[in-house]
Amino acid sequence: MTRHVRTLCILVVLGLAACDDPNPIEGVPESLDAQLRRQFAQWNIVPIGPSPMQDPAMVALGRALMFDKILSGNRDISCATCHDPAQYLGDGLALAVGTGGSGSGPARTLGAGRAFVPRNAPTLLNSSIGMPYIFWDGRLTRFGPPPPPPDVVLPATANLLAAQAMLPVLNRREMRGEKGDVDVFGNPNEFAQFEDTQATAIWQGVMQRLVAVPGYVTLFRAAFPSIPASSLRFQDMATAIAAFQTDALMKTGSPFDRYLARDNNALSVEAKRGGVLFFGEARCSQCHNGPFLGGRDFANSGVPQIGPGVGQAAPLDKGRGELLDFQFYQFAFRVPPLRNVELTAPYFHNGSFATLEAVVKHYNDVTTSLRTFDPSTLPASVRDSYHGDAATINALLASLDGRLQAPLHLTDAQIADLVTFLKSLTDPTARDLTGIIPASVPSGLPVR
Amino acid sequence: MPPSGLRAVCLVVALICLVSPARAQLIPIKTVPIAQGDQFQLFPANNLGMGSASIALADSLADPFANPALGTRIAGARLFSSPTLYSVSRNAGGGRSLPFAVLARSRVWYGVLALALQQVDPSRPPQPEGLFGLGVAVPDAIRPVPVDPSPIPGPDLRAHGNEYAFAMVGRDLPGTRTSIAASVLWTGLHALDGVDLLYAGSQRVAQNGHALDLRLGAVTAWRGERGDRTLEALVLRNDFAATHTVTYADTYWDPGVEAFRQRARIEHNVDQTQTWGLHFKYTVPLTAAGWRIGWIGTLNRSSHPKIPNYELANVPAIPRDPGYTTAFDFGIGVSKVRGRATFGADLVYEPIRSYTWADATEPMSTVSGDTLAAGAKTIENHFHFSNAVLRLGAGRDIELPGGGKLFGLQLGLMLRSVHYNLSQRDNVQDLQRRLTTGWMEWTPTWGLSLRFAEFEIRYAGRATHGAGRPQSAFSPVTWAGRDVALAGGTILAAPNGPLNLTHVNTTTHQISLSLPLR
Repeated sequence: MTRHVRTLCILVVLGLAACDDPNPIEGVPESLDAQLRRQFAQWNIVPIGPSPMQDPAMVALGRALMFDKILSGNRDISCATCHDPAQYLGDGLALAVGTGGSGSGPARTLGAGRAFVPRNAPTLLNSSIGMPYIFWDGRLTRFGPPPPPPDVVLPATANLLAAQAMLPVLNRREMRGEKGDVDVFGNPNEFAQFEDTQATAIWQGVMQRLVAVPGYVTLFRAAFPSIPASSLRFQDMATAIAAFQTDALMKTGSPFDRYLARDNNALSVEAKRGGVLFFGEARCSQCHNGPFLGGRDFANSGVPQIGPGVGQAAPLDKGRGELLDFQFYQFAFRVPPLRNVELTAPYFHNGSFATLEAVVKHYNDVTTSLRTFDPSTLPASVRDSYHGDAATINALLASLDGRLQAPLHLTDAQIADLVTFLKSLTDPTARDLTGIIPASVPSGLPVR
Repeated sequence: MPPSGLRAVCLVVALICLVSPARAQLIPIKTVPIAQGDQFQLFPANNLGMGSASIALADSLADPFANPALGTRIAGARLFSSPTLYSVSRNAGGGRSLPFAVLARSRVWYGVLALALQQVDPSRPPQPEGLFGLGVAVPDAIRPVPVDPSPIPGPDLRAHGNEYAFAMVGRDLPGTRTSIAASVLWTGLHALDGVDLLYAGSQRVAQNGHALDLRLGAVTAWRGERGDRTLEALVLRNDFAATHTVTYADTYWDPGVEAFRQRARIEHNVDQTQTWGLHFKYTVPLTAAGWRIGWIGTLNRSSHPKIPNYELANVPAIPRDPGYTTAFDFGIGVSKVRGRATFGADLVYEPIRSYTWADATEPMSTVSGDTLAAGAKTIENHFHFSNAVLRLGAGRDIELPGGGKLFGLQLGLMLRSVHYNLSQRDNVQDLQRRLTTGWMEWTPTWGLSLRFAEFEIRYAGRATHGAGRPQSAFSPVTWAGRDVALAGGTILAAPNGPLNLTHVNTTTHQISLSLPLR
């Protein structure tokens, strides 16, 4: 028996020595789904919940206001002129054409003696999703006070979106008009006579126009039953526009959103491959992350400079660097959210790239792309305003975002997969939005 | 440096969990080295402390539960109880069982009635050891805002119970040395160890199911020159069905409040497995005195009509529906009983073939441009196992002064080697993957006994090493458990994603008391 016990003890010792840790299981690649789900967790990609319900009366008022040119000094441009449902709530132009222009969508042209709005009109799709920064330079933010210097002091509003709706009517190029302008009826543009610092007077002027229209009196009374017409404020109007945007312009039913909602079949294999690149090797998610795939950060993406420029840097546009004098912010613009990006060409803050393929190729090697940019790819109307001199390019590259300085070396097939993934971010119901365009507005001005 | 036992295990796509009570003649399958609680070590066994060697070494306590016809060895009426508890190290889980049984014989008839109650603690991720493993704080900036007034139940930290009822009746055939018997084991299941960890990110898992194990056995013996030769045969049928009601807290972005929030999502997962089994054992005495040799052959054929959609490493809703498994074991064992010394050794080879697949729930386009129709196989997994089990044990009884009292000591070792090849075909991505892997689990066992003329009391224990459990991992979406674990049966998972395991040990202690009934 002792012999058996001894044998057993030896076996125990051998077992202890030999069997501490099993070999790891290796050699099987992760599936695309497994990679994507892991990357979602890494980059905080979560589904978007439903939009909050809006008061139908408020939505009806906001819809009328959105499409009514009565808000503009010259009565010739509405919010929807540059945020056109037929153009997916953008205008299809590289740089927006404000008051004085004619036509709609990509065919819209500048009026005599007018200049382009210096930046691209961003889509209003999903503008109510809760992004922390609004405008390309992020000057409206829910993170504390806006960067100095404040252009105007905004009154308290229901939300950031309503605050945004208060600003275009103050901008001379966009909606207000220049001193001496007359409106479409030949009457003097009373808004244009105010100084740029007289924001409150301009807003009051707009409200005086609105309450003079019986149709608006009815709509306002329904939306704000407790406020007499004489006490209505411009921010009430802005709140109604924001309600319409929230009700009608949220489009988060893309295949990608269905995939986020646990439907593994919602994305094609190509889109999944592109997604894995997007969140991995192509490094897109280093900026385009979070629930909106962007919208929370700023970056100098080495975008060619075109247009009339902004502020002291004109004819250049230093983006957020015009507001905050940090090196990181020079030529930096808000990282846009990407849902429905397929529909909202042209791209970047000045529309300098016409297709998603061109955008991805730009990111594949930003430095080379910027240095070899071909202005003939720009629309003829803005081609001459391309600032391709060496000093400008060097200045752009000097503050190029660190995340973009190394080339990605993506192959054509990978670029195609990335584009397929980006197209999977499109909500099918966003492909035709013309149904939200009203046949008429209370002022009687033409809608289109 | 990862903690000891941390393994990068690629996981997923198809997973089958035969979580039926792992009883004798049901061949367990594992494709990942996950530690399993010793939940189904319910009934007492003489040889538990001897590595559970059982081919050529009779176990008068455990044998009737494995093959009811072996109840023919019941000599008289006895009452026994065997309180058992197990724990997973690093505070990762545990459980307790309290069975009572009566064995009785009346001339040619014999039978057993047994009842058991069990309490299983919730499985937890292994806790780090030492002062420096207190977890990773989630930055406030990405912590979901707890503004949702809708109730999301928190983690279920209560222990849950299972009930077991066993009945066996057998008859010796007069004029022969043959006996036949049938047994039924019904299990009401509300807590399978580790199932709650299978659903990564879940808040709680409510289990409700049952298992039914039917056995028909026969044993016959012939006298020979050196002793009895015995042949045992068994047919078994094991049905398992359970529903897992899983509550998740999904994080989402709420545009209304412009903040991250959480909402409850409840899934009902059905888990069904049916197994047919056939088992033979033949033992004969060897020439030398006290030695016996035995051979076993077992066949299990399992089908899995429905398998839950486990959450593995944040990979949700992968259909893992049908599959089937054919498992064999072929074993040889020797034993020696001489005087008060006992020795036993078993060597078992387990070839297993398993085929599982995932169904397309709707037409799917493949990378080659083809379309898979709904119901077509999107992923196919072929497993080829070559497992081996070695069980060794020795025991000795010592007569204590005073007469009629025996003190027994047992030591043993069980080694389980798992080795398999996986050939995985992804019909959507047009990929073929191959994997060859394996590991070894080792289980030292020990036992003490004290036998008096009228009753006996035993203590046995065992500790299984070489496996792990998923550890808590920081996740920006605040999912607490990202990986999987399972205890209590078979794990058949096709590798496909990362799985981090922390080395844990499962330790079981059993005290059994046997009293004669007059």
